Amino acid sequence: MTTTTTHTPTPGALARIFAVVRLHFVNKGQIIVVPWLIMSFIFAVTLIIGWILRTSLSAKDLSEAGSGMQYSGAIGYFLVYMLVIAVMAISQTFPFAQSYSATRRDFYLGTIVAFAILSLVYSAAVTVLGWIEDFTNGWGLGVVLFSPGYLSPNLVERFYEAFVLFLFFFMMGIAVASVYVRWRVNGMLIFFASLALVILGLVALATVSSSWGAVGAWFVAMGFFGVVSWTLVPTALAAIVGFLLLRRATPRA
Amino acid sequence: MDDSRPIFIQIAEQIESDILRGTLPEESQVPSTNEYAAFYRINPATAGKGVNVLIDSGILYKKRGIGMFVAEGSRARIIAARREQFHAEFVTPLVAEARSLGIGQAELTDMIRKEGNS
Amino acid sequence: MSAAIEVTGVTRRFGSLRAVDNVTFSVEEGTICGLLGRNGAGKTTLMQLLTGQDFVSAGSITVFGQSPVENAGVLQNVCFIKESQKYPEDFKVRHVLKSAPWFFPNWDADFAGQLVEDFRLPQGRKIKKLSRGQLSSVGVIVGLASRAPLTFFDEPYLGLDAVARQLFYDRLLADYALHPRTVVLSTHLIDEVSNLLEHVLVIHNGRIIIDDSAEGLRGSATTVVGTKAAVDGFTRSRTVLHRDNIGGISSATVGTLNSEDRKAAAAAGLELSAVSLQQLIIRKTGTTEEEIELSA
Repeated sequence: MTTTTTHTPTPGALARIFAVVRLHFVNKGQIIVVPWLIMSFIFAVTLIIGWILRTSLSAKDLSEAGSGMQYSGAIGYFLVYMLVIAVMAISQTFPFAQSYSATRRDFYLGTIVAFAILSLVYSAAVTVLGWIEDFTNGWGLGVVLFSPGYLSPNLVERFYEAFVLFLFFFMMGIAVASVYVRWRVNGMLIFFASLALVILGLVALATVSSSWGAVGAWFVAMGFFGVVSWTLVPTALAAIVGFLLLRRATPRA
Repeated sequence: MDDSRPIFIQIAEQIESDILRGTLPEESQVPSTNEYAAFYRINPATAGKGVNVLIDSGILYKKRGIGMFVAEGSRARIIAARREQFHAEFVTPLVAEARSLGIGQAELTDMIRKEGNS
Repeated sequence: MSAAIEVTGVTRRFGSLRAVDNVTFSVEEGTICGLLGRNGAGKTTLMQLLTGQDFVSAGSITVFGQSPVENAGVLQNVCFIKESQKYPEDFKVRHVLKSAPWFFPNWDADFAGQLVEDFRLPQGRKIKKLSRGQLSSVGVIVGLASRAPLTFFDEPYLGLDAVARQLFYDRLLADYALHPRTVVLSTHLIDEVSNLLEHVLVIHNGRIIIDDSAEGLRGSATTVVGTKAAVDGFTRSRTVLHRDNIGGISSATVGTLNSEDRKAAAAAGLELSAVSLQQLIIRKTGTTEEEIELSA
């Protein structure tokens, strides 16, 4: 017995990152099937409601109901779902990837690539469905689900808005879950307490300096497109913070 | 396997006993180290150590790329060694104990003869 | 032979607790090494340090000559099967079998498939719906089929019955014989594995108290039984690991005895019996700190 099991040469960084990407997608039920099943259900319910409204309401009431729907929107549901799977990716897939001997760096980069891909796919889907919705005048029933009023009417801009929002929610999920993986419950308590204090501080600052008017004006000036673009700053910060936290995290039982 | 003695010695003794009993005839091939390890559920390195004891003492020999074989004349050599061992382990203390109990040589021989007849 | 693992003065602190306390040892490449000790002795923490999952507070670790921390070149040759392993939500057995080869370059899918049959593991079942024994067999299968040059099994068979454990030992020995590699086996079922081990490390309160070959430990302790006076006389000049008294009869566990010692014991009317590895470790880890230091 002079030979031991062969040590294989290290695969390149790209191959290792790609392995992590595939790991995120290996259980398609979680990441693709379940959200679209729920979405289909919401879609069906929305269509039924739209049909009921159409058959029972006057034209005037109908237009009011339609404007009320402008602010629901499927994208909100998807965004929350993305936040949840981002949290699960860090709290569950991270310890599992460690058991597969993946480095934290490869895991983190693979996770970001996987979620960027997912964001692209979901934004494209939401954009296309929104376009169909506009084209068919609300699936023939005046229903608003994929094309809420706050999104840009321009399809390219709308795709960009959805994509950036998906990224934002993903990265927030990743950063918050990284706090948990690194410092557990105590970390979460301190994190949310600090977050509350920061928000309170900002509110107090705006109130004391009586600059609410200016804040409001800024949001109006930016518009939805501008505000969405500004989320790229916290998104990038969350990506950096998440990495710094995870780099020293230990998977625990 | 008993706990008081090294396993590799017990393995070597086991192979010797197989040769004595004729289970492993001279010039026949001996199972590999890994087969011994699997059969006795022991570490292959330990089994290898036991086999090496027998190779060093010339009871087994290696044919390159084929395996291990029982050397010619090894049965006779094992018997000779075991006889010597028998003398040291049983006869010497027997005689010493007999002497301390005042059993004379004639009486002892008589006792052994009777034991052998029964 | 070169060392697969080299650990020098490693300490891991959690607050004031030293889970691993100034530990130094090495593991030879190509051996099956037992990492033994009581629950909470520091076994899992030590293995987490060795696989780069945790960080040392002091000291240094090299695996195949390099630090394992965030080192893909080292880690892809390492597989760590943990008793408490978490799996992603709603993962099924087949998801594990599908994804493992992406991370373990030596993965043998045929071997994995054969093991799944041997352990009668339902591939379509969710991990969280598996019984404790089935969950353990998932780890055992990944650990064996990954054929990593360095494989850690941390209490790999919780909930497995005797038949399944025997299956694990048999498959491990057979595959190790064909594909020699370094295996570190941590378990509390010491008697079951003692014949599989080439080397034994015993950790107690974060410290390595035994670092010896399995053959060297075999017969390294003996129990003498006899009248109290005889045992007292025999053990006067020896280190006693353990002692029991029942009425006028005493039993004492002492270190290695040579043939002179054995003759003396027999002359004193004492009975000798071998101490198994498991008993030896219980004796050594059940005793107080001072006694351990005397006997070590």
